[in-house]
Amino acid sequence: MKDTAILARCNLFAVLGSIPHLLKLDPDAAALVAGKNIRIGFAVKDGPRATLIFKDGEAEMVKGTDGCSIKLWFPSVDKFNALIDGTGTPIPVSGFHHIGFLLGPFTKLTDLLSAYLRPDPERLADPVFFERSTTLMLYVIGRAIVQIGNHDKVGQFSASNITDGKIKLGIGDTLAVAIHCRDHHLMFNHTPNDEGVTSQMVFDSLTTARDLFDGKINAIVAVGMGQVRIGGMISQVDNINRILDRVAIYLA
Amino acid sequence: MHKINDYTKSREAFARAVKVIPSGIYGHQGPAEGCYVPVEAFPLYSSKARGTYLWDLDGNRFIDYMCAYGPNILGYHDPDVDAAAARQRAISDCTTLPNTVMIDFADLLVDTVACADWAFFAKNGGDTTTLAVMTARAYTRRKKIIFFKGYYHGVAPWTQKIDYAGVIEEDVMHNLYCEWNNYEQLEELFQTYKGEIAAVIGQPYMHGNFMDNQLPAPGFWQKVRKLCTDHDTVLIVDDVRAGFRLDLAGSDHYFGFEADLICFCKALANGYNVSALCGKDFLKNTVSSISYTGSYWMSAVPFAAAIACIEKMKRIDSPRILLEKGTKLGEGLKATATKYGFDLRVTGAPSLFYLRLADDPTLRLHQEWIAECVKRGVFFTNHHNHFINAALSEADIAETVEIADEAFAVLRERHPL
Repeated sequence: MKDTAILARCNLFAVLGSIPHLLKLDPDAAALVAGKNIRIGFAVKDGPRATLIFKDGEAEMVKGTDGCSIKLWFPSVDKFNALIDGTGTPIPVSGFHHIGFLLGPFTKLTDLLSAYLRPDPERLADPVFFERSTTLMLYVIGRAIVQIGNHDKVGQFSASNITDGKIKLGIGDTLAVAIHCRDHHLMFNHTPNDEGVTSQMVFDSLTTARDLFDGKINAIVAVGMGQVRIGGMISQVDNINRILDRVAIYLA
Repeated sequence: MHKINDYTKSREAFARAVKVIPSGIYGHQGPAEGCYVPVEAFPLYSSKARGTYLWDLDGNRFIDYMCAYGPNILGYHDPDVDAAAARQRAISDCTTLPNTVMIDFADLLVDTVACADWAFFAKNGGDTTTLAVMTARAYTRRKKIIFFKGYYHGVAPWTQKIDYAGVIEEDVMHNLYCEWNNYEQLEELFQTYKGEIAAVIGQPYMHGNFMDNQLPAPGFWQKVRKLCTDHDTVLIVDDVRAGFRLDLAGSDHYFGFEADLICFCKALANGYNVSALCGKDFLKNTVSSISYTGSYWMSAVPFAAAIACIEKMKRIDSPRILLEKGTKLGEGLKATATKYGFDLRVTGAPSLFYLRLADDPTLRLHQEWIAECVKRGVFFTNHHNHFINAALSEADIAETVEIADEAFAVLRERHPL
């Protein structure tokens, strides 16, 4: 049911890929990398490769490991997945003089990310933490949808039934991500506008979104109760939801 | 101007339902799968039904173009069907030994349906499509089934897709998919899987959701029929949705070919719960060998209702009536749309018409229009074909067009040219 190679893609591009969002959401996170100019490459044998670029307190993730300052090599997807699970350690193969950043600020950053993505329930009572955590989850889920829709066998079947367009996943009026579909290939957009949106699924509140992400309420019920609004080319939303079900299998 | 409906009681009932029923209302009659957009525009529960009308819990009356998603063909509570059912109920219904009304019903179907040499009864359409596929596999001793994309053959695992919850790869690993009306693609599948294809299963025309419905291209079914015959493959027509609305002899008869197996349900008994698989003589022994039954499958009341329903459909020539009413309604709706500068497409057979406002490819405009119609008392759904029933009157059609006109006026005001 779960392909470890796809899990590695989700871990790299969705989980670690959400670090740039974390830096924008949490000033403490941004402070950890303030003034740092460093590129961490992740290379997984028979798996994905990407580089996290930290610069001026911000970050972005790009595909490949060319030009990275420090390169982490993982001999298998399982070893990489273990890192994200917190049961494995990375092996730098170049850029050893940056090991201090890796063991210091970067580790703190990933700890912070884990705190938001696998939160202590008590911390969710803090509205600021709750909002950041739920927002980050939306980004991780959006990015994971793309990985699963493009690479997972069952996800690809769902994507094969999505017509070209832009599917908006939103929370309230202010927060949204979009999945673009072209020729059944999915792309993630974390700053979508409403132009060209062909279908949408919008949660009425952060609480509804959180409850759905946590599996406390069901999307079908939420649509019936008016807590989740769907519209436009609903078949796109339907198939994105099928991929979303698989996100839960990979990242729950 | 028609009043705008209030659905307070429906909402209250739904809130109560979600506590004790998964999804509140599961499946196609639920607000999510039914594509109720926005959900506030739609009623959720009925209080009563009569003829072509449905009343919701808040007392709003609707001209109902979903007809319970097909079963209502003569009008809700048709007096002749209800009387036959009541007579049988006074005698027997669900009993240890079946009543001979079952044989009467089988005789009637064999006399009515062109390709039928026998009839097997169950409850839902999916019971019969599953039996049809089992029959094809048992007869041919092959595994693969060809489906036409956009299909719906029920909810058994084999009818679903690999990405549906609860479905495993093994459930669908022998399913092959072909574009509707694409004979060349079908022929290729037969070549690729030579000697492996047990059956081709198809609805008589493509009535998929989210897209205009498509009738068969000229000669398409005839070529499919020959291909199946040449390869000893069983041809299954799933006539659950269209059955008896196009032709009382079966939709295969309507389109000029003959199925090996044909599945009926919806319109068979005007809402009494019975379905039937009919087929050719050469498959009768195979069906006999299959272990397939259900607690209520031989209940006598639905058989009596079905006999009365079929006899009445014959008497009034219901396919002609439905065609005429559906055509008149479709023309009226299109003319109204044109008046406001909208492009309304009415596709499929007029008795099972599918609606799409083609001005907006995202379908939002269409959803707005449907919502405005429903709020005023015409029960349309967004992305499923509709159904005509024989109780629909000229006045109902006129009122529907009037409401559609009001809805288009609202849309045009909201979206000026």
